[in-house]
Amino acid sequence: MAANLLSVINVAAYYRQQVGTSIKTIKAVDGVDLYLYEKEILGIVGESGSGKSTLANVILMNIKKPLEFVKGSVRIYTGNGFLDLNSMSVEELRTKVWGKEIALIPQSAMNALMPTLKIKRIILDVIRSHQDRINEKEVVEKAAKRFRELGLPEKAIDMYPFELSGGMRQRAVIAVATLLNPRILIADEPSSALDVVSQRMVLKTFYDLLRKNIIKSVIFISHDIATVRQIATDMCVMYAGKIVERGSTDELIRKPLHPYTEGLIGSIPSVEPGIRERKLKYIPGQPPDLSNPPTGCRFHPRCPYTMKLCKVKEPPMVNVGNKRLVACWLHVKR
Amino acid sequence: MKLVIYLLITNKRFIIGISIFLLIVLIGLIGPLLYPVDPLSFAGPMEVAPCRRYPLGTDTYGRDLLAQTLVGTRTSLYIGFLTALVAISIGTIIGTLAGTKGGIIDEILMSITNVVLAIPGILLAILIASYIKVRSVEVIALLLGITSWPWYARAIRAQLMSLREREFVYLSKMAGYRDIELAFKDLLPNIATYTFMAFVLYINGGILSEAGLSIIGVGPTKGISLGLILQWASLMEAVRRGLWWWFIPPGAIITVVTSSLMIVSVAMDEIFNPKLRGR
Amino acid sequence: MLEVKNLTKVYELGFVSKKRIIAVENVSFKVEEGEIVSLVGESGSGKTTTAKIILRLLPPTSGSIIFEGKDVWRDVRKREEKINYWRKVHAVFQDPYSSYNPFYTIDRVLKQGVRLIGINPSSDKADELINEALEYVGLNPSEVLGKYPHQLSGGQRQRVMIARCWIIKPKLILADEPVSMIDASMRVSIIELFEKLRESYGSSTIFITHDMSLAYYISDRILVMYKGRIVDEGPPEDVISNPEHEYTKRLIASVPRLYQKWTL
Repeated sequence: MAANLLSVINVAAYYRQQVGTSIKTIKAVDGVDLYLYEKEILGIVGESGSGKSTLANVILMNIKKPLEFVKGSVRIYTGNGFLDLNSMSVEELRTKVWGKEIALIPQSAMNALMPTLKIKRIILDVIRSHQDRINEKEVVEKAAKRFRELGLPEKAIDMYPFELSGGMRQRAVIAVATLLNPRILIADEPSSALDVVSQRMVLKTFYDLLRKNIIKSVIFISHDIATVRQIATDMCVMYAGKIVERGSTDELIRKPLHPYTEGLIGSIPSVEPGIRERKLKYIPGQPPDLSNPPTGCRFHPRCPYTMKLCKVKEPPMVNVGNKRLVACWLHVKR
Repeated sequence: MKLVIYLLITNKRFIIGISIFLLIVLIGLIGPLLYPVDPLSFAGPMEVAPCRRYPLGTDTYGRDLLAQTLVGTRTSLYIGFLTALVAISIGTIIGTLAGTKGGIIDEILMSITNVVLAIPGILLAILIASYIKVRSVEVIALLLGITSWPWYARAIRAQLMSLREREFVYLSKMAGYRDIELAFKDLLPNIATYTFMAFVLYINGGILSEAGLSIIGVGPTKGISLGLILQWASLMEAVRRGLWWWFIPPGAIITVVTSSLMIVSVAMDEIFNPKLRGR
Repeated sequence: MLEVKNLTKVYELGFVSKKRIIAVENVSFKVEEGEIVSLVGESGSGKTTTAKIILRLLPPTSGSIIFEGKDVWRDVRKREEKINYWRKVHAVFQDPYSSYNPFYTIDRVLKQGVRLIGINPSSDKADELINEALEYVGLNPSEVLGKYPHQLSGGQRQRVMIARCWIIKPKLILADEPVSMIDASMRVSIIELFEKLRESYGSSTIFITHDMSLAYYISDRILVMYKGRIVDEGPPEDVISNPEHEYTKRLIASVPRLYQKWTL
């Protein structure tokens, strides 16, 4: 039985936006439960606006205005005991948790590197922000070793970001983010901006990190289910601020239970023969406005199987056996 | 566009800054009308401290200092505006031509820009002062404008060069827009905010530079400006002799005007740069 | 209808010691009426440069583009002729953000389309056309007109661009990575609009992408570009099952599939 690393229970986080003279509340994450185990690569899949990036920040408790943490608990299990992140101060999080227990690679991280600093400087800056006193030589040596382990050229450390190709930059970012050997790595759309060849190399880097036991598990967030599927052991599907389905990757793809998951899978083209004749179907409509989500099940306006109950009451998350969870009235036994 | 104006109007810094500035402008415009004393003619006894008859006292030549300060404010503001007008006009034309036409035109214009950038304004002013003995405020404003447009032209050129490659420019081109129409409708609005800010900064620069030139004696020879008041005050050693009513009012007004404009430009920066908003 | 002959584009950087970058090298291909052709390759392969040259936005270093018998760069010179060309050859660009001037509402791109075909943008006929165009691409005019670009989603913005194409009805559309910045689940519904345009009035599309699976799904022919050259060409099934060039093989192997997992 793999050890539990992360327990997220009923978290909600809203954005408060000033629009003219009134304040709009966007319920980006609204009642999410998540569990992460060792040696697991959990994929979180959802469209833009589903709240997945916000969820990443919530897990880290990286809450900055206009985001507000509304309710719930985020607990990580360290080597000796646990830490309740939602009750820690930013200072505590910065020195004890961020980078050391959990690391986040935000969206477009590879484009956010300061162009006038060499990778070496960036590495030193990152480490300095999590440890008050550092030995520069040691850090650079450690980084060089890590680069070697991940198949990156050591001389990349002495280069500027623009001298590296997109794929190499992203892999360098991953190497730097995991330098302090965090238990959990959260990657938000790490490969979306890359060409397919680089994408594959980036995924391999995550695999290598896990295999060499440098990190214990990964949360991989993306809108591209075909890419997530290549690396994730388990997947969560997120829609409109809530998780609608969870299960092992193979099962989820083979037999999706939630109509949204079904629609997602049906809309992805691939180079497998027969797809041109099969004709892809897609989900009509748009994701809802999270400041005014639909009543009942949030997916009901776009769902082909909507029943009367769906418009009125939100379906609960039920366990249909074998760690399969789904929130849909179609799967709730009377 | 409307959103920007709304944000501007509700920004506290902007309101404070622009109110103070407009107050000074009002003083400059209406002051001399309400107090129609000739600032340059003999009005009474010399070096009198402020009293009811002479609210800001008199200088060594017996001239009314309140009149001087009021007219001086008006003149200094006028010079500031003129400088900004000249600098922005030249800078926009050169920057736009260089940024949109590119090629040889760009090279030539940038060379000119670099040369002008390298010319020290003060030296030029001293040179001009030694050849033209009678200098009006317009000449000074022209001088200041002509020596300060380069950085702005460069900035405009840079912005336009990056805008040129944006897809919406291509799409407008393919819709049949002529170059001029393209420049006005697609490019100009995107640099408008920058131009606005630069204008404010140039007014500031103009007022301060004029004061600087006047104090060392190469400013305007006709009329009276805040800088010229300070020049007389320093020539007559007003500081050493404790004639505070001579140099404090003009100095204070310069400080207040430039500070208020700085506040306005900070506010504008906040609004136009969305990342600084929400503080 | 369109023939690209020995197209080459070389960039020279620097004033004294010139550095040469060969963006496009000796590229030749044809596009017939009603065809959907994909130009597949990674970023830096020269596909966008080729598109800009075909669109008459960037001049070639050598080679020619022949459209309906005329050389696009040598025979089309006067303003009238250029506008005529853009009525027949138009574009949908990749970035739904920079395709719109943030100062204007999205109506502007549609009004520009109306203007291009010679109709007064403020007339009733224009409004009719705009409404019809938006409905054609699956958008509700009342939800979209009068809004600023940042108020719409990426998918909606791209649909509006395609609506503009419906208004203009060009013979050839160059779609440069039209869906790469859109969520995976939305891509197909937008791509299929190009097919719809072809069915409605026989337009051809040159579809530029780095996504082999999309190219496979929608094209009649695939051209693979690598480092400025065309390295593989043929109908989708052929290119997928019998890739000739090393790069094509790598490209196909790197496309993530739903029902097959890579060994990493």
